[in-house]
Amino acid sequence: MRYVIIGNSAAGISAAETIRRLNPNCSVTIISDEKHPAYSRCLLPDFLAGDIGEDRLRIRSRDFYQDHNIEAILGKKAMGINTETRHVVLENGETVPYNRLLIATGSITTFPPLEGMDSPGVFGLRTLADARNILKAAESARRAVVVGAGLVGLEAAYALYRRGLEVTVVEKAPQIVPQQFDAIASHVLKKDMENEGIRIVLNTGIRGIAGPTIWERLFGKKGKGVLLEDGGRLKCELVVVATGARPNTDIVKNTGIKVNRGIVVNKYMQTSLPDIYAAGDVAETVDIVTGLQSVTPIWPNAMVQGRYAGCNMAGRERKYGGLIGMQNTVEFREVPAIAVGLTQVNADGYQVLSHYRPENNTYKKLVFKDNILKGAVLVGDIANAGVFSALIRNRTDISQIGDRFMEEGFGYGNFLRKAVRGFSAI
Amino acid sequence: MKGFVIYPERCNGCLTCTLACAAAHSSSGDIIGAMLEKVQSRIKIIAVDGFPVPVKCGHCEEPACVDACMSGAMRKDPATGIVSNEGNEQSCVGCWMCIMACPYGVISQGREVPRTAVKCDGCKGRKGGPACVEACHNGALVLEDLEKAGESRQISQYMKIPAKTG
Repeated sequence: MRYVIIGNSAAGISAAETIRRLNPNCSVTIISDEKHPAYSRCLLPDFLAGDIGEDRLRIRSRDFYQDHNIEAILGKKAMGINTETRHVVLENGETVPYNRLLIATGSITTFPPLEGMDSPGVFGLRTLADARNILKAAESARRAVVVGAGLVGLEAAYALYRRGLEVTVVEKAPQIVPQQFDAIASHVLKKDMENEGIRIVLNTGIRGIAGPTIWERLFGKKGKGVLLEDGGRLKCELVVVATGARPNTDIVKNTGIKVNRGIVVNKYMQTSLPDIYAAGDVAETVDIVTGLQSVTPIWPNAMVQGRYAGCNMAGRERKYGGLIGMQNTVEFREVPAIAVGLTQVNADGYQVLSHYRPENNTYKKLVFKDNILKGAVLVGDIANAGVFSALIRNRTDISQIGDRFMEEGFGYGNFLRKAVRGFSAI
Repeated sequence: MKGFVIYPERCNGCLTCTLACAAAHSSSGDIIGAMLEKVQSRIKIIAVDGFPVPVKCGHCEEPACVDACMSGAMRKDPATGIVSNEGNEQSCVGCWMCIMACPYGVISQGREVPRTAVKCDGCKGRKGGPACVEACHNGALVLEDLEKAGESRQISQYMKIPAKTG
């Protein structure tokens, strides 16, 4: 049996490990356009900030591929799939035959269709190559502008700030991290960043990025300008664009594999074609909070989906029950924060419990619907966050718990006390 | 296979386990040293309606914290079954994804080393086994054969209990 995995990050590695564990003798091949052994994209901001070196980005040991007897085709992009002859076609024309194929190609950065996005000094932040390019540009830069105050944008901003640059973040929405956090949590996090010295401009979109003026060029300056919708122009030498990402579905074009936003998979992580599976950011699965089929592009979900895909590919049937599509943690300076599931609701039928203590930067908010926990925001004090995640994921009926949820220290102890005994495996 | 079993009904809240845990993880190795070093305990005794409930890591079969760990530091040792973010090739960066993922709420932010998650490491390598089990005189924390103990150790079993908790 020949297993081929396109993608060398969370989902791909997790699937490869699973297949190897279940089947010690089969052939497993991982293909990636990146040359580096599997590394953590989530740690790129830490690398950018100088907290960790490049070798600490690796998520597995140096000998991972050898130890697991995995053939790694790194630095060669998979361009297409011939589903008739069951081959993956690489950019250099080589073909890799498969019996079962996993597509774990992740997401790619999207740039808004505006002027100047492809000019030098403008970067996304998704790959190690991106991070290296930003670092190189940062050496001769004094000011940086980050477009987009999502998690990637803010982490990039903080990292560049730590590198000694003056950083301005521009965001179209009226708050930072608009996808994950509600207005109060965002306010606390914004204050935390502003207190550090990072400038954040809200309610402002951009019109494009202008190159250096003729005079600047004459004097060898690299100045750029981020043109704002309100007519302003932010001067800088370095721009990071973090306005969004999309599932990297390019490889399945013309294969007939069903794609919505991501590649649609069933409960066994199978695509619409036999023996082709998908997992991670590129796959569309059921989000347990909304009940809808959607992309759930976060690291833990990719790991779990990779494992389920690996199990099913190796012939051990395992049904994926859905995960929480959106859940994230941040800590920029000193205020840790966690958002899980639905954190902002406008529709009827939702109940909200919340407690905000501005004096010590703590905020707790829980969102319910029909006695099921749907979302949680914890700022400042993040202890027991996972207990809320579990209640959301398990769709536990919480009618008997009531507002004990808001008690300090509410957690697993409350459930354990009720149960006869709890135990664990070592 | 042997595993940690918690009998909350036997706990009288003496906190000896927390002191033993801190001592075992201090550089001095004793309780006084642990207090001076301000070592945090990796086992917690939670008061629920006035009753003490010990809560500690269960070293899950498929740990959510390992899936969530974006640095690769949190691993389950295939030989011992211990789940830990210490002593592995990759190191913890304190992103708190494991805290978000752990359904038992037994991972904490590190106090001594900021930006490091702290959790039970099963006292790996310690002579005499886990310090908390050794210290517990009430039989609330024991190492037992899990098959013999018999019940499901899935948290969902507890989480789905419809009766009033606590």
